[in-house]
Amino acid sequence: MNGAIGGDLLLNCTDMSVLERQRAHLKYFNPSFDSPLAGFFADSSMINGGEMDGFLATAGLNLPMIYGETTVEVDPRMSIPLETTLGTGNFKKRKFDTVTKDCNEKKKMMNREEVTEGEEEEKSKITELNNGSPKSIKKMKIKAKKEENNCSNDSSKVTKELEKTDYIHVRARRGQATDSHSIAERVRREKISERMKFLQDLVPGCDKITGKAGMLDEIINYVQSLQRQIEFLSMKLAVVNPRPDFDMDDIFAKEVVSTPMTVVPSPEMVHSGYSHEMVNSGYSNEMVNSGYVHFNPMQQVETSSDPLSCFNVRHIYSFIMFHHLI
Amino acid sequence: MQPTSSMNEEFLKKWQMGLQIFRPSIDNTSVHERKKAIKLSADVAMASLRKGTTCWSRALIEKTATEDNFLVRQMLSGIKAEALINKKLPKKIVCHRKIVRRSKKILRRKSKSASEEAAAKAKRLVKRRTQGLRNVVPGGELMSNDVLLLQETLDYIVSLQTQVNVMRSIVDAAEAEIER
Repeated sequence: MNGAIGGDLLLNCTDMSVLERQRAHLKYFNPSFDSPLAGFFADSSMINGGEMDGFLATAGLNLPMIYGETTVEVDPRMSIPLETTLGTGNFKKRKFDTVTKDCNEKKKMMNREEVTEGEEEEKSKITELNNGSPKSIKKMKIKAKKEENNCSNDSSKVTKELEKTDYIHVRARRGQATDSHSIAERVRREKISERMKFLQDLVPGCDKITGKAGMLDEIINYVQSLQRQIEFLSMKLAVVNPRPDFDMDDIFAKEVVSTPMTVVPSPEMVHSGYSHEMVNSGYSNEMVNSGYVHFNPMQQVETSSDPLSCFNVRHIYSFIMFHHLI
Repeated sequence: MQPTSSMNEEFLKKWQMGLQIFRPSIDNTSVHERKKAIKLSADVAMASLRKGTTCWSRALIEKTATEDNFLVRQMLSGIKAEALINKKLPKKIVCHRKIVRRSKKILRRKSKSASEEAAAKAKRLVKRRTQGLRNVVPGGELMSNDVLLLQETLDYIVSLQTQVNVMRSIVDAAEAEIER
């Protein structure tokens, strides 16, 4: 969903450099090329991203549209120098070299700028283009992997962020698409599903729910209920004002062992007995009606007799301090 | 990963330090003010536990810092986490509406078959839900990709659970004392 925005960023960041590089390429391959013409090609490609096919067709080039399927804005800028170098025997190889050179330079350019995690996706798209050709994909893949590894070696010295992108080391599994686009997509999907599994363990009552939308719904509800609980509890703390002649040592004498307490949003706790204090505050309604009502009360772990069981005995002093505060 | 007892204790310590700082404002004011102070100190304590490693903690501190700047600064200096205030947040994601609208039109033109429509609808649902999640998690709008969002949500949920644990146990203890 950030493709458009990312593309925008890309355009703004590396605009001039791409133009300059295109012109350099054109000059290198075709010394007789006029720079205004090169600029014309480059500019028009950037402006009419979607109409590039038509433009090239009218230019009389019957070269296969290599990057036709991708929708990244980087496309037209990158393929223009290739399309204009008219066919020779080792045209494809040169094409590949220029592409990788472009990509490497672009990567280095991006390294020097502020790299945030948001631009990781753009980088992955750029290096995907390395392997995007439907023809001779295996050769390009092997070469591109080497190039990418070199790139990554260089870039790891410059920034640490690129080390996070591990699509380079992913191999296409048997029976799955070898397109690098889908590989990166698959990596991303796997990451997301991994995180979702963790979330499933964390959010109670999510074992039966499959699918991202339902899970996300549950997660949102859970987070909201936790936040509401915190509001409610802080209100209760503000109301409950222990008298100064409390003796907390008595309470602590009872606690011996610490046990990790699991969170149990328990609607029944709300209903029992505390609402009389909260009547004035107006928060009681919110908590009583809200809720994680379908939550299974059997999961409640805490014992009612040991309210302080979540703390170790060593921290008695801190608790007493707290008592004196309120 | 459920919250451990050590996490509970750390949170409690920081929270109490914060409450100490807030004490002068707590003593004489109304219930609502006290509640706000308690919640604020708890939130800041929870966020400072992460020491600025997570996005949501930084966003939370930013939010609270704008409201009660002086007190929050005091509290953070008490917890020795002053660096958190000045940490840079990632850029907020701004969606240029024209571009989004245009791309949506193009997408709508492409998919016409029934199965594709169902898939598109599912995608839309998921997108809507992720947007909802971004609204709930502090600093959600600043997270650029879904993977990061889910990771932050995980961490945030664990911190919320510790907070609820600690607060509830204190309230229960206090209640038990009162009833005695």
